[in-house]
Amino acid sequence: MIEVRLFATFREGRDKIVYLEPEQASCPADVLDHLKIPHEEVAICLINGFHSKLSDPVKDQDVLALFPPVGGG
Amino acid sequence: MSEESRYSRQILLPQIGEQGQKRLAESTAAVIGCGGLGAPVLTSLALAGVGKLRLIDHDRIGLSNLNRQFLYEESELDKEKCERAADFLRRRNSGIVLETVCERLTEENAGRLLSGVDVIVDCVDRVETRRHAGRAARRLSVPLVEGGVHGFYGFVLSVLPGKSACLECVTAQEAEERGPVPAVGAVAGVIGSLQAVECMKILLGLPHVLYGRMLQYDGLYGEFTEVPVHVRPDCICQS
Repeated sequence: MIEVRLFATFREGRDKIVYLEPEQASCPADVLDHLKIPHEEVAICLINGFHSKLSDPVKDQDVLALFPPVGGG
Repeated sequence: MSEESRYSRQILLPQIGEQGQKRLAESTAAVIGCGGLGAPVLTSLALAGVGKLRLIDHDRIGLSNLNRQFLYEESELDKEKCERAADFLRRRNSGIVLETVCERLTEENAGRLLSGVDVIVDCVDRVETRRHAGRAARRLSVPLVEGGVHGFYGFVLSVLPGKSACLECVTAQEAEERGPVPAVGAVAGVIGSLQAVECMKILLGLPHVLYGRMLQYDGLYGEFTEVPVHVRPDCICQS
């Protein structure tokens, strides 16, 4: 399973953690499409804590963390 | 006024003690942004006896600031934030030095405005300013405490320049908030207070600073989540 952790406004109307089968998503862009999150709204995309592009591969056991822009002060 | 009795309750702590209090008194912190996050950061550090605070903010006080920026009063609308903030702090601790810089931090002036400090606290609302602050912290080799809020959500991340992940290590270049960011005063209070705790740990040389660990706060769930973040080898902070 791929564990998808959503943060801040991405949680609104969705679960905060979503699990996907590897067949359902080969990259973060697939995950975003599955969750109906517009790609341009993603500010931080981490695979296992490392910065990733939306086209980078995700595999079984990976933890994907997605964040909107970092916010104000 | 006895400075010993002012700080006696925190000197009781083994992590601070007389030596730690002296260390705080000899320290300088730069706080960029005297708004929703800057208010709890500045107040906490001033009351704790951090010897010198440099307040950096080009902005003036607006009515929409007053739901969270408790440094300011209704009678101070349109006045310069950093000067009014310094006045608020001076009336609460006359034993510290307050420097005010009523300028926007830019790529050109960041090195000058942030030189000679022991820690930098980023309390701004613009990605571009965060980038300038982060890069200046890297050039100056000064630890940086990042914080941000969006409505009921917020985060804190401390950065040891060149050693732990910075915001640019993890953020897509094009990412930017659109329009005014929703802000809840109590949430800014949570995040700003956490930033102040990080500052004190850094200044006191305490362990377990949030280097490489982004602490996310979700006020709606009532939940803190620690997210490990790693250095990106091709990030500018590694050059």
